[in-house]
Amino acid sequence: MKRFAVVLLTVLMVGPVLFVTAVEAGAPIRIGALYPITGSLALLGEESWRGAEIARQFRNQKGGVAGRQIEYVRADVPDVNAAKSEAERLISRESMKLLIGTYSSSLSLAASEVSARQNVTYFELGGISDQITERGYKTIFRTCPKAQLFSKSQMSFIRDWVAPQIKKKPEEVRVSLVHEDSAYGSSIARNLEAEAKAGSVPLVSVIPYDSKAIDLSSVILRLKNDKPDVVVGVSYANDAILIGRQAKELGLDIRAFIGTGGGHSLSGFAEALGAGSDGVFNVDFTQYEVNTKFTPGLPEFVEAYKKTFNSGPRSGHSLANFMGATALFDILEKTGGDMDAAKFRTAALAYEAKLGTTATGWGVKFGENGQNTLAETFLTEWQNKRLVTVWPEGAAVAKPNLVRPFSK
Amino acid sequence: MSDLFLQVVVSGLLIGGVYALLSIGLTMIFGVVRIINFAHGEIMMLAMYLTFWLHTAYGIDPYLSLLVVAPVIFALGVAIQRLVIQPILEAPPLMKVFATVGLYIALQNLALMLFTADFRTIQTPYASASFRVGAISVSEPRLYAFLCAILLIVVLWAFLKFTLVGKALRAVAENRTVAALMGIKVTRLYLLAFGVGAAITGVAGTLLLPFSYVFPTIGSIYTLVAFVIVVLGGMGNMLGAFFGGLFIGLVESFSGTYISPAIKEAAYFVIFILVLLVRPQGLFGMGKGSEEVGLK
Repeated sequence: MKRFAVVLLTVLMVGPVLFVTAVEAGAPIRIGALYPITGSLALLGEESWRGAEIARQFRNQKGGVAGRQIEYVRADVPDVNAAKSEAERLISRESMKLLIGTYSSSLSLAASEVSARQNVTYFELGGISDQITERGYKTIFRTCPKAQLFSKSQMSFIRDWVAPQIKKKPEEVRVSLVHEDSAYGSSIARNLEAEAKAGSVPLVSVIPYDSKAIDLSSVILRLKNDKPDVVVGVSYANDAILIGRQAKELGLDIRAFIGTGGGHSLSGFAEALGAGSDGVFNVDFTQYEVNTKFTPGLPEFVEAYKKTFNSGPRSGHSLANFMGATALFDILEKTGGDMDAAKFRTAALAYEAKLGTTATGWGVKFGENGQNTLAETFLTEWQNKRLVTVWPEGAAVAKPNLVRPFSK
Repeated sequence: MSDLFLQVVVSGLLIGGVYALLSIGLTMIFGVVRIINFAHGEIMMLAMYLTFWLHTAYGIDPYLSLLVVAPVIFALGVAIQRLVIQPILEAPPLMKVFATVGLYIALQNLALMLFTADFRTIQTPYASASFRVGAISVSEPRLYAFLCAILLIVVLWAFLKFTLVGKALRAVAENRTVAALMGIKVTRLYLLAFGVGAAITGVAGTLLLPFSYVFPTIGSIYTLVAFVIVVLGGMGNMLGAFFGGLFIGLVESFSGTYISPAIKEAAYFVIFILVLLVRPQGLFGMGKGSEEVGLK
C-alpha cells in the first residue's frame, strides 16, 4: 500500500511535467501577427506581413527556434478599433504571449496598449511613430527606426546637400511640409518642426490634409502660394499619387521633394506618375537598390520573396519586417522559445548585432525603452523609375541628382 | 496672388461641376418620386467599380464606358424603384427612409465582400495632363468631367422642358394625384425618374474615376455632399442643385487653399448651417412649402 502510494505520488508529480515537456518540445511556437490586410492600408500592410512570413519560412527550414516550428496566428486590423479588439482576442482567446505587427503607427499604438496592460510582449517591426516606445512600457520593442530619425536625416540632407546645390545658405532655403493628419504624419510633422528650429532652416508652411480626400488641389495651390524651394511630404499610397498628379496638373514649381517612406517608396508611385516621379527623394527604411555589402542576406530575401509571391517586393517594408522578425527569432532562441515577458525582456536587452550585419544593414541594440538604437534610415531617389539609394555614401549605389519633381 | 485666386476659382468650379451632376441625380429622384435616397452614393460607387472593371479587364476607356455604364445603372435604378420603393409607395415617409438606408448598408457591404476594401485607381495617358492658359492650369480629366456634366445638365433640362414625357414628369412632380387624373401613368414615370436619376449619378461616378479612386465606402462621402447641395439649393430644384454644386466646389477650394485642406468639409457645413438659419427653404427654394412643388 505504501509502495503504491509512492508510485501514485511519483506519477502525479512527474507525470504532468513529462507530459507537458513532451507537448512543448514538439508543439509549434505561436506568435500573433497583426497587419492591416484590407482597407486603405492594405497594400503596405500585406507587404509588411510578407517580410515577416519569409523570415518565418527561413527559420522553419533551418529547424525553427529551439527545435520548434514557428506559426503565426494572423489578424486583420484595417482600423484602430479592429487593432484593439483583435489584440484583445489574440491574447485572451488564442492565449498569445507575443505579438508582432503592424505597419501603421496608429494601429500599433492601439494594439500595443492592449498587450502592454496584459503583460504580453509587443514586437513592432514597421510602425515609426516616436510614441510607440515612449509610453514607459517594459514589454514593447521596436526594431525599425523611429520618426525622429526620418526628420533628422531629411533636415541634414537639406542643409548639407540641397542648399549648396541650389546655391543658398541653409538659413535661406524655404521648406514646406505637407503631411497626412493621422499619427504617422503628425508625428513626423512635430519632429520636423523641432529639427527645422534646431537647424535654423525656415519652415514656411505646414499643411495637414486627410489621406482619404478625393481632391487635393488646395494643398498644391497653397504650396504655389508659399513658394517653397523644398517640400517634405508625408503620405500613404493613394494620396502620394494624388499629390504628384495634381502637382503636375497645376504646374507646381519646386526644386526638390523629399518623401518620408510610406507611399513615396512604393513601386506603384512610379508606375502611376511615370517619368514624373524622377527626382523625388525619399527617406525610408533600407530599399533594394543598395550596396549589398552593407546588407548581407538581402539578395537571398529577394529571391525567396519572388519564389513565394511570384513578383518582386513592392517596397522596403517587407525587408524591414524580415529583418525584425529574424532578430525576434534570434532572441527567442536565447530564451529557449520561452515567451514569458520578463525572460524575453532580459534576452532582448542582452541581444546585440553590429551595423551592417543584417539584411537591412541595421544593427540591433535595444535601449531601456525598447527602441533599437542601431536602426538607420537611408536616402533614396527615383531615377528612371528605380528607387536607388543615394545617401549616405557607404550604402549608396548612385549619386543624388537634382531634377525638378513632377515636371515630366 | 491674383493668379492663385483665379486658379482657386477654376479648380473649385471644375470639381463643382461633377458635384452638380451628382446632386441633380438626387434631386430628380426626390422631386418626382418623393424618396430621400440614402443609397445615392452607393449607386455612384457601383458605377465607378463598373468603369474600373471595364477598364482593367477589357481596356475600355472610361469615357467610352459611359455607353455601358449609363444604361446598366439606369436599369439598376429602375430595378430599385420596382423592387424596393414601389411596394412601399403608400407607406409613411419614415418607412421609405428605412428602406433606402437598408439598401445603402446592403450595397456597401456587398461591395466590401466582392471587391475588398482596397483603393482602386485606373491609369490613363491623360490622367495628369493639363491645359495651360497663362498661369492657370486646367486638368484635362477634370475639364472633360466638367464639360460632360454641363452638357448632360443642358440635355436633361431640355428634355424636361420640351418633350411630352418631360412635361409629364414635371406634372407628376407637381401633383401626383392630379397627374394621374389627367391620364399620366404615374408608376411608370416613377420608374423612368428613378432610372434617369440613377444613370446621371452613374455618369458622375464614371467621370470622377480618371482623376480619383474608388473604394466600397466612398459612397457615403458623396451622399453627404449631394445632400448638402440639394438642401442648400432647395429640395427638388434642379437649378438650385446645379448652382449649389458649383458653390460647394468653390467653398471647398477656397477654404482648403486659404485656411487649411484639413477643414474643407467643416467649412461647407458651417455655410450650410448658416444658409438653413437664414433661408430654411434653400437658396433657390420658393418659400414655405415649396419643397412640395418639387421639380422646376
